[in-house]
Order: sequence, then structure tokens, then C-alpha cells
Amino acid sequence: MPKYGMVIDLQKCVGCGACALACKTENNTQDRTKGQTFNWADFIMKEEGKFPDMKFTPRPVLCNHCTDAPCVKACPVTPKAMHKHENGMTIHNQERCIGCRRCQQACPYSSEDVDKAKTAYSVISFNDFEDVVHPFYNDKKELIPNCTASGAEISQKTGAIPPHRTLYEHSDYVSVREKGKVEKCIFCEHRVLKGELPNCVVACPSSARVFGDQNDPNSAISQLLKKHKAVQLKNNKGDFLKAGEKGTQPNVFYIRSFSARK
Amino acid sequence: MQIKRRDFLKAGVATGAAVAMSGGLTLNAFANGKDHKTGSSHLEPGKWVPSTCQGCTAWCPAEFFVQNGRVVKVRGNQLSKANSGYVCPRGHIMLQQAYDPDRIKVPMKRTNPEKGRGIDPKFVPITWDEALDTIADKMLELRKAKEPEKFMYMRGRYSPTSTDLCYGTLPKIFGTPNYFSHSAICAEAEKMGPGYTQGFFGYRDYDLAKTTCLVIWGCDPLSSNRQVPNAINKFGDIFDRGSVIAVDPRLSASAAKANEWLPIKPGEDGALAAALAHVIMTEGLWSKEFVGDFKEGKNLFKTGATVDEAAFIEKQTHGVVKWWNIELKDKTPDWAAKKTLIPKEQIIRVARAMGKAGSATSVWMGPGVAMTPRGTYTAMAVYALNGILGSIETEGGVFQSSSVPVEKFPEIKDIFIDELAKKSGKGKKIDGRGAKDMPAMMSAKPGSGVVTNNVANGMLKDPDAIKVFLSSWSNFNFSCTGAQRWDKAMAKVPFFVHMVTNASEMTQFADIVLPSTFAPTEKLSIITNMANLHGHMSIQQSVSKTIWDVKSEETDVMWLLAEKLKAKGFANLHDYYASFEDPETKKKPTNAAEFSEIAVKITSQKVWNGKEKMKGDQIAGWEDFKKKGIYNSETYKYKKNWGKDNAETKKFEGKFKTETTKFEFYSETMKKALGEHAGKHNTTVDDILQVSGYEARGELAFVPHYEAPKRHGSDKEYPFTFIDYKSRLNREGRSQNTTWYQEFKKVDVGDKSWDDVAKINPIDAKKLGIKNGDTVRLTSTTGAIITKALLWEGVRPGTVAKCYGQGHWAYGRVAAKNYAKAEPRGGNNNELLVDDYDRLSGATARNGGFTGVKIEKI
Repeated sequence: MPKYGMVIDLQKCVGCGACALACKTENNTQDRTKGQTFNWADFIMKEEGKFPDMKFTPRPVLCNHCTDAPCVKACPVTPKAMHKHENGMTIHNQERCIGCRRCQQACPYSSEDVDKAKTAYSVISFNDFEDVVHPFYNDKKELIPNCTASGAEISQKTGAIPPHRTLYEHSDYVSVREKGKVEKCIFCEHRVLKGELPNCVVACPSSARVFGDQNDPNSAISQLLKKHKAVQLKNNKGDFLKAGEKGTQPNVFYIRSFSARK
Repeated sequence: MQIKRRDFLKAGVATGAAVAMSGGLTLNAFANGKDHKTGSSHLEPGKWVPSTCQGCTAWCPAEFFVQNGRVVKVRGNQLSKANSGYVCPRGHIMLQQAYDPDRIKVPMKRTNPEKGRGIDPKFVPITWDEALDTIADKMLELRKAKEPEKFMYMRGRYSPTSTDLCYGTLPKIFGTPNYFSHSAICAEAEKMGPGYTQGFFGYRDYDLAKTTCLVIWGCDPLSSNRQVPNAINKFGDIFDRGSVIAVDPRLSASAAKANEWLPIKPGEDGALAAALAHVIMTEGLWSKEFVGDFKEGKNLFKTGATVDEAAFIEKQTHGVVKWWNIELKDKTPDWAAKKTLIPKEQIIRVARAMGKAGSATSVWMGPGVAMTPRGTYTAMAVYALNGILGSIETEGGVFQSSSVPVEKFPEIKDIFIDELAKKSGKGKKIDGRGAKDMPAMMSAKPGSGVVTNNVANGMLKDPDAIKVFLSSWSNFNFSCTGAQRWDKAMAKVPFFVHMVTNASEMTQFADIVLPSTFAPTEKLSIITNMANLHGHMSIQQSVSKTIWDVKSEETDVMWLLAEKLKAKGFANLHDYYASFEDPETKKKPTNAAEFSEIAVKITSQKVWNGKEKMKGDQIAGWEDFKKKGIYNSETYKYKKNWGKDNAETKKFEGKFKTETTKFEFYSETMKKALGEHAGKHNTTVDDILQVSGYEARGELAFVPHYEAPKRHGSDKEYPFTFIDYKSRLNREGRSQNTTWYQEFKKVDVGDKSWDDVAKINPIDAKKLGIKNGDTVRLTSTTGAIITKALLWEGVRPGTVAKCYGQGHWAYGRVAAKNYAKAEPRGGNNNELLVDDYDRLSGATARNGGFTGVKIEKI
């Protein structure tokens, strides 16, 4: 059985944002609202030093698919909505989710409200019980009456919300989440099961993201982890696990340095 | 159900202890009982359809994933050699642009005759028929009055082939000299660098897979500048082979990654270039193969010493010793350090790194160097570094652009141009090109370069000059420096027709608005460009179901307008279009759709018709081309344009398109062009330079050299130097109405999502009493904008940097803070930047610290 993980090579990464945008196109995530980002792939930016010795590192972030996943432990339903698959992925089952947000509270990489917590990102986001999902494409307002369109009209004409909705099916999750449910990166398992790579990986113009089986010593990810010293994030504040520190055993690794300057 | 679940949840939280004790509850009625250790999935079928992104000047061959007639995902064309199958972040944003809720869905007409910023045009929907009738009537009124020159067409973004059907045809046949491209507000001055040294007035390509020293100067190829996916794709590996050096007054993405960042004082690039050349020469690091060497082998380039021209034998170049004597001999790193504020040690270190990499060094020059009031000479100075390093067309070096075989449309024969058109078409253009103080010597032809931004001045000077104005895919009220002038000029145009997708700032002044296709997903056209040592021709086609009543401005609309003009008695435009012939069936067009298809078949035919064997990809026919969406040319051959000594005649036969056919460090080409322009105005070259605002006199005017930066606003009143740069998410000022642009604005180094920030060094901020997030007003001699302050260590004290893109007061619900009230989100840099030019090229100044600003907390 594979143990999937991801290596992000910061020397190749240029911080362009293509991964995060490609994720939004694949997984049809809605726009940020009420402290929820809905960015399954996102960034945390680090600034150090003073002019002219300033150093800037954008770090792409996503669900770490932790081996010891606190979000899974915290999920109160049986069978669990947030659960591990044998391939190492942390998967969310929408049907079983009751929207209690205990996973969001338990995850060290998530915040219940990124604005209040002043965190750069949150792995888990929550779709409010009351608010319509994708309000942008439900809005009936026309800027120039009878001349310009509206979000609702675009959705009606295309027959989808969002209008660029990528359709797929999965035994646990749906391509657009409902009200009252949490959501997060699922490593594009719907693609991986069909032999495709996660969309952030195929979209990365610098090939900085390497997805694969850590149990296979010949896989690209295993080779990179053997060759380079890797670090893992400890939380969504940009701290790292120290050598020997296990944390939640995240399966997303960072190798090399963004900047060539020491 | 929702309420019930929620109530249940409350109970669940209250009994949290019980939950823990019982090891989890079966709360959810929908819980499935399946094995949940593995998943199964189904991917909805879809199809990847090729088209072309036009979000920046890379014009990337791309593919859209189409499900049920909807575009849902984007990737690079998998066959493309220019982008290796990738798009940059801009590519993905196309989906939100295609499905923008603020798209104009029908033609509109203005019902409020009053025009001005913030005045509601009170647009109402009309039919295409009514719209085109009105336009044709207005146009023909001009011809009736024998003043067709009062018709003006301006293009913004365009298709490089279809443009010939509109920009290249309509003005000629109708009879106006007043047609202008946006080009000169973009990067035209860059072309002067390779133009007046190498005879190549174009954009360069780079061997990024092989370069061992990439010198990025005045641009950020990871974010913009003509081949973003290719730059992103190859950048990281350069560090394994060599080094990256970034010259930029602000910390760009490239600068953040580079081995060396040279945060140059804005506008002092010519000083740095001169000092680097000085070190390369005095340390003997120049290319002996390309430039040549001293007869005696001993390096006579000593600081301060004049060298005898006869002592040096040149190979592919002309005038290296003259350049040294006229400009370089005293331009020491010490001297340059004072001008540029870059430490002398760093200048020397960088020069040595470049010298060590030699001809595998690529100096990638961008608009930051050239788009300044004296930018031509700076562009030459920076580009000439490629010359002394001999990295012209070498492994790891710099290249001219690759091209693909495009077939031209049928010639516009005399029968289509009547006497009136012939006469009035030759009149004076209102952009002022060729005036004594506007040499505009693009392609070494004085008076040939477009001076886009000067059109507004021409209109303001003579409000009667333009009575009917047609423009497509443009937004000059937003994209031109001194943007306020366009608001004034446009308010006076009696009849303005705008062909666009969204109601932009410029649209607010329109009398008729024609809704355009969103080109990458709805337009049929052929796009050509190059990158990664290959040229390409790629298709743009309707990949999804077209939802709105929109038409392609350069093809469909032109045909329909031609039909209207014909019905009203002016048939020439229609008769020209109707003379086109399908290259396969020989059928002539009878409607707009047929005309569009025949046009793209004409331009693209060479790559698929099999008549001539192509050197690049082999395409089996029109259908095969549509399916693949791309033709890649052969790979650029190293040293393609290097000259050779003819064994028989013993003469050197060069291939560069300069006066000497060599790479000119002493530009005979510039000497000739300037002389020609001076001759036209019966004056001296020095007088031309004087009135055009350059410092050089005499021989200095013919070599790449340092000119002190020009600055608007005194240091006392406007103490900060403004730095403008481009967003990696800008689709040329048109993506700001997408939520993805706003959400990921933070990928522009230092920027904040959903916001617009002016970056100020903390030392300055402290002096001004400004804290992070404070609202500030920036004021220049031209105007003022209000934005947020960001304390940022990535800019030098004394400078303030702000990204171009935000500040829309129209365009849509996301781009503007309040569309109905014309309230901008952030501030538009162009309302701050002064309307000024690099007059030798006609290009608009944007960079080089030419605008001083003051910063006030409000």
C-alpha cells in the first residue's frame, strides 16, 4: 500500500501562485468569507532582515495529510467524517460531516477564523450553515441594468455553480461542498485513483511539487527526501518541526532554499 | 434539516465528555457503512481544446478543459516548446474572466449626453443592427464632409494577424492617417537597445536552459516580460549551474531568489552598465571571439587612458575602442557607486561573475531600464553588455526572436482606395511623431514610431481633430500615464465607439459600446510569438459555448460594419474583404463567420497546407492544425547572424541589420538616423538632442552611454522617488475584476490580498509617522492617489514602490470599490506618473525614477 506525500522544492518554486489557482479550478472552492479562506492550496510569506539584506520566502502550503492526524482524532462521528485512507491521505466524507468544526479546532495548521487568529492560512475551512455557497455566482445584481450580466445569470446560462465547475465524483466527497460542512485539500484523490497527479502538481510551471509514494524507495519523492534535508511545518504560523520532533507527522516536506542568498 | 442538525450539534458539543467516553457517536443519519479506508472516483469526461492566452505579451499556447460546453480548467498546450506545456498563474484566471458577471452582454448606447469621470452614461441595450447603423452613419458623415481624417482608430491588445483586417485596413480604405497602437505605452524603448547596436528592433529570447549567469535588469521575468512560464520553468536550475543577478530598485520575485540583488537608485542604470563594462574591459574579460583583441595581445584598456583605435582588431563588432574612449574610460566602479548607491565591491564582483560566465551570460533587459525619459541610451548601454561578453546567439546567451511563416492577407489594391482616402490618408498624424522634439526613430526610421500617449495631448490641443473615434480592447484612461488627460480628452470626443468585454474607465465615455468576445475562449484568430528558441503559431478559437451576444472586433465586427457602409454607399471596405478566398475551397466569404474562418486559414496556411516542407512541426492539414492548435518552428541556430570573412574577396560579410552589418558599439545606425531627422528639420543633431531632452552632444550621441535621470518634481517638495512595477496576476489591467486576482494579490512580493499598498522603507515611515496599514496620499506634479502604506524592507529609503493594476474606478464590481459611484479600489499609478517620453523612440516613460512624490498620512 502506498504512503502518499509531497515534496516542495523551494529552489524551483518561484511563488507564482499557479498551484493555488489551479487548485481552485479543480476543486471549485468558493471565495474567502467570514474568516474562512477556502484555499486548499495557499501560501505563507516570510520576511527577514533589513534593506538591502532583506530575504523573502513564499512557502506554498496545503493539508499535510499527517500520519498522526489530530483532525481525525477530533472527529466525533462514527464512522468518522475526517478519516485516513490506507494510502496515507486524510480524506473528508461530506455526508457524515455534521459541521461541528472540531477538526478545524484540532488541526495545528488551521484556524477557526484566520482574521481573528491573524494567521496566513487555514488548511480546513467551514461552509456556514446559513450562507449560500458561492454567493458570487448567485448574486442577481446587474451593474448596468439589462446590459451587463450577473453572477446568477452566468450560472443559469452555463448550468453550473461556479460556472467553471470541474465535475467529478468520489465515494467520500463532492465537487462543491454544501452548507454546514468543512472542507480541505484531499490530495485530489479522485484524480490519483485514476492515475493522475494532484492538479497543483501538474499545474506547477517550475515542477517544484513532487507527489508520490514514500514507501517506494525508487519514487521521485523518496529519492528527493534521501538526497536533501527536508523540513516540515509545525503549525500555520510558519514554525517548523525541530530535528527529531515528530509533531503530527506531516507528509508534506520542503527541501532546499527559495533564495540563493545566505 | 439544517436547523435540526444544528440543534443536534449544540447538544453534541454540550455532551462533549460523553462523546469522548463513548469513543464517538453515530450522529449522522447519512453516515455510510462502506469501508472507509479506500476511496473510489469517477472523472466526468471532458476534452482539452487548444487556444491561446493573451493575458500578457507571452501569448501562450494554452488548452482549456471543456465539460458540457463549459471551460473548467487551463493548462499550457502540451505541444508547445515556448512554455513546455505550462501556463503561469494568469492562465487560470481566464476562467473567471470568461465567466465574469460584469461582461457586457449586448450592444449599448449612451443616453446621457454629458461625459466625464463619475458621470453615469446611462447606457441602454440596443441591437447590433442599430449600433452598426449609427456607427456607419457617423463615419459616412465625415466622408460626405470630405474630412475622413477626423476618424480615428486606436487598438489596445490585438491579434497579431487579425489586426491587419482592422488596424491595417480600415484607416487606409476609409482615408485617415489617425490610427494608433498601444505599443508605445508598453515597452517600445527596450527595442532601441538591440536596435541601435545590433540592428534588431525587437524583443529578445534567451537560452535559459544553458545560461550560467542570468542578469535580470529592470524587469521580473518570473512575473512578467514576455515568456513567464518558460522563465519560471527554467529558473530554479540555473542556480545548480551558475548564478542569477537581479538589478531592480525594489525586491522583485527574481531579486528575492537571486544570488545578487543590486537595488539600484532608480534611473541610474546607465551608470551601472558603464561601470560593469569598464571592469570587463580593464580586466580583459570581454569576448575575444566576438569582439576581437589587441594586435599585440596586451590589454590597453586602463582606467582613464585613451586607446589608439588602430591597436585593436575587431571581429563581429564595430567601434569598441571609440566607445571606450568616448564613454567608458572614466566610468569606474567608484564613480558608479556614487551614482547608483550600489557598493563598488558588489559592482566589481558582479562584473567578474559575468566575465567568468562569458558568452553564457544572458543580460535580460526590461522596461525598467528603457521606459524612462532618456531610456534609449540606457537600453543601449545595458544591451551592449551582451555585445562585449559575446553572448549574442551563443549557448546560454541572448537571441533575436524566432518567427513562423505567416501568409499575408491579399494586397489592398488601388481600386479599394478612392481619391479622398488617398489624399486624406496621407495627412499629419495627431500623435506628433516626427516633430523636431519627437524623433520617434523606431527601426532606424525617423518619425516612424507611434507615440500612443501623445494622442490625448493632440486631442486636447485640437478638439475638432477627431470627431469619430473607434477603439478596441483598450483602456487608455487607465493604462496611460497622466491618465487624467485622457478623461479630459475623451469627454470632448463627439462620438466614441468602444469594443470591449467590460465597461472599463474608457467605456464610460462611449456613445456606443460593442460587446467583444473574450479572445482566448470565444475568438477565432491566429496568434504568433516566440520563446525558448522557438517561434510558434497558435490558434485562438471558440472553445466553449458563447453565452452573450458578443462579436470579435477585428473580424466579425469589421465585416458587419463593411456591409453597413456598403449599404449606405461606401463599398470599398466590403469589396476588399469580399475578395478574400478560402485557400482550400477557393470560396469567397458571404458572411461574418465565413470571413473570420477564411481569414485565419489564409494567415496560417503555410504551416498546414503541405505545399512547402516546414522546418518545424509537421501538420497534416487545417483540421490537424485546429486539433493541435500549434505549430512550433525549428530551434534557433547558434550564431545564426554572425558574419564571416569571405575567403575570395577577403571581405567580412556581416548579417546584422546595422549600417556596418556588425554589432555597433559606435552606432553608425544611430548617427545616420539622427542626421536624417536633423536634416528634415534643417538643424544639427545636437539641437535635436537638446530639444528632445537628452544630455549627450557630439560623438557621445552615437555610443551607449550614461545620461543622468530626469525627474519631475523637486527633491524638496516631492522627496520620494516613485517606482512602478507589474503584477504577476495582471492580465494587462483586465484581471482586477476577478476574485482570484484579489485573493492571490499577495503573490506579488510584499503585496496584500484584496488591497493596494505603497511600499515605504521603515526608516522613512518612522520619519513621517506612518504605521503599517495607514491610509496615505501620494502626490506628484501630475496628480494624487490614496492608498495604504506598507512598511517594507524591500525598498531603499527615499523611494516608494507600488504595483500597477489596482485603482480601477470602473470595470466591474470587484475591480472598483463602488462602480456606481466611480470609487476606486486603491489607486492607479498612472494618475501619479507624469506624461513624458523617451523621445528618440516615442515610448512613454514609466520607470527610472522620473516621478517625484510626497507622502502624507491622512
